[in-house]
Amino acid sequence: MTRSIAVAVAIARKDLLAEWRTRELVPALAQFVVLALVIANFGFQIDSRSAPAIAPGVLWLALVFAGLVAFGRAFAAEREQATLEAVLLTAAAPAAIFGGKALAAGLLLVLCEAVLLPALALFFGVPISFGLVFAVLLATVGMAALGCLFAAMVAQLRARELLLPLLTLPLWIPFIVAGGQAVQVAMGADGTMDQALKLLLDFDILFVVLTSLAARFVLDD
Amino acid sequence: MSAIVAESVSHWFGSEPALDAVDLVVERGDHVAVLGENGAGKTTLLRILATALRPSSGKLEIMGLDALRERRRLRGRMGYVAHAPGIYGALTAEENLAFFCDLRGADRARVPEALELARLTQVARRRASELSRGMQQRLAIARAVLHDPLLLILDEPDASLDAEGADLIAAVMNGRTAVLATHDQALATRLCQRALTLRRGRVLGQGSRLRIVQ
Amino acid sequence: MTRYLGAAAGAVALMLAAAALIFFFAPTDALQGPVQRIFYLHVSAAIAAFASFAVVLVGSVLYLWRGSVRADRLARAGALVGVVFTTVTLVMGMLWAKPIWGTYWTWDARLTSTLVLWIIYAGYLLVRRLAAPGRQAARFAAVVGIFGFIDVPVVYFSVDWWRTQHPGPVIATDALPPEMLFTFLFTMVCTLVLAGTLIAIRYRIETLMDTAPAAAIMNAPATHLEPAQ
Repeated sequence: MTRSIAVAVAIARKDLLAEWRTRELVPALAQFVVLALVIANFGFQIDSRSAPAIAPGVLWLALVFAGLVAFGRAFAAEREQATLEAVLLTAAAPAAIFGGKALAAGLLLVLCEAVLLPALALFFGVPISFGLVFAVLLATVGMAALGCLFAAMVAQLRARELLLPLLTLPLWIPFIVAGGQAVQVAMGADGTMDQALKLLLDFDILFVVLTSLAARFVLDD
Repeated sequence: MSAIVAESVSHWFGSEPALDAVDLVVERGDHVAVLGENGAGKTTLLRILATALRPSSGKLEIMGLDALRERRRLRGRMGYVAHAPGIYGALTAEENLAFFCDLRGADRARVPEALELARLTQVARRRASELSRGMQQRLAIARAVLHDPLLLILDEPDASLDAEGADLIAAVMNGRTAVLATHDQALATRLCQRALTLRRGRVLGQGSRLRIVQ
Repeated sequence: MTRYLGAAAGAVALMLAAAALIFFFAPTDALQGPVQRIFYLHVSAAIAAFASFAVVLVGSVLYLWRGSVRADRLARAGALVGVVFTTVTLVMGMLWAKPIWGTYWTWDARLTSTLVLWIIYAGYLLVRRLAAPGRQAARFAAVVGIFGFIDVPVVYFSVDWWRTQHPGPVIATDALPPEMLFTFLFTMVCTLVLAGTLIAIRYRIETLMDTAPAAAIMNAPATHLEPAQ
């Protein structure tokens, strides 16, 4: 067990180090996110009354697309450099490999969220409450687990740009629904943040367990 | 206990046959060369031996363990040098080796000796993507023995290697059981006592005298 | 060969009998009019689809657990038949919705999760096609099949929960008079028989394709074939 954690940490560290060296992903994500917000501003009629109705959608649209890019890239690099096999052949547990990659990709998405939330506050007047931040973080956990599992699968196939959203989005819907509700509550809608948070936590537990079990079938033969 | 016992190992990619009933026995300490043209099935066979690929049919026993059931245990005791180096371009040579040490649970102190063995100490701090193909290949070879494996599988390690590379291959094979796929007859003669020749997935001949088979 | 033909003929006959009941036995709905008759096949198709995907789940789990190729074939057959029935469900639902609600679609829990179901198993079929045939295709599809099956109730639940915060159109379900209930149950049974027959036939086709690809396709209609293992 400690071996697996050490492996996952080593992989996460390696991924973050590689991202730091190349600086490809995070600036692209941040730029994308800000762009999405600017487009939303021109595409929708944003005023103080419509903002609460539109902001949740904008947040989750931006996050979903950023997530698809981030998790897709997590395994794209391994495929390009033919390194995934080398890593598997070190006898590292596939679940640990998967965990490390999901951890790193999730953290990179969190960096992107650190840009997104303040931008939302700025452009849409979304109040950045502790509950909202927590909701976004919880959703990121589940989305990272699912996104990375299917990214690992899709990296081994053709037509990946088509397949990754097709496979991942249906599984992300519960997170988007609960997360969207969290934003609406933060902006003053009825309902409690606690309900949304509890749902997100339940989904996290369910899907983190399932994806960890499934990792060995996706990564290894 | 033999190091490798392969019995009637066959493999298809879809409906394309790649290996046809290959039998192979490798004893402890043997150095066996696998020869054959491109497309003969050398890489497929070596990947199966390295547990990177599950054969479509056949039995395989490595170091006394069923290679189809105990893959992870075997992987801990084997080293594999694939056709492509499979190293991380964004990391330095040193960081690459340290990372794989961490994955294997090997002591990081082995990294400097591995770099020395591969004559890469000078470029240890250089990013792997900036190394020449020959250097990358040497790095991959050094990586394969970081954990001091008993068995080593090398798939055409000499393909993009420079002169220093041949010495490195000899050095890592020394004292280990090894299976080496290569086109280089001279290298095979120098390093191996036995050879197996593949042609279109079938074993054309095995013997202790290396012959060029048309 | 002939027993599949017989089963297929029987299933078709049952469906025709169900159709007869739907159009001639069941009374016309007082509120919705003749359009309401879509309900019998629409709901039956939905149930048949879920049953087919349950077959996919069982096949997928068995394949991952035991490596049984037969289980994988069963999953393949179930997925194809399930997608067909889901398509039927969605189309009939839309045809029914337009005259009754005035709109083809609404994002309530049931419709959303049925659409998600369709997308997931369309993804299953696509993954099968794109992966390396054999182990990779079976492995990946099994993972998709299992995740998909678990996801649908989760989606249903979350949309349902969301709807309690944002009430939308309500689908009224009154109690069914006995003739309607009987018609529905009969249609449901017939549809399940049809689904089962289709899965069995497809399973046979998958078996043939696995064991003798080109020969199976060329020879299947005319010759008397041995049952495969």
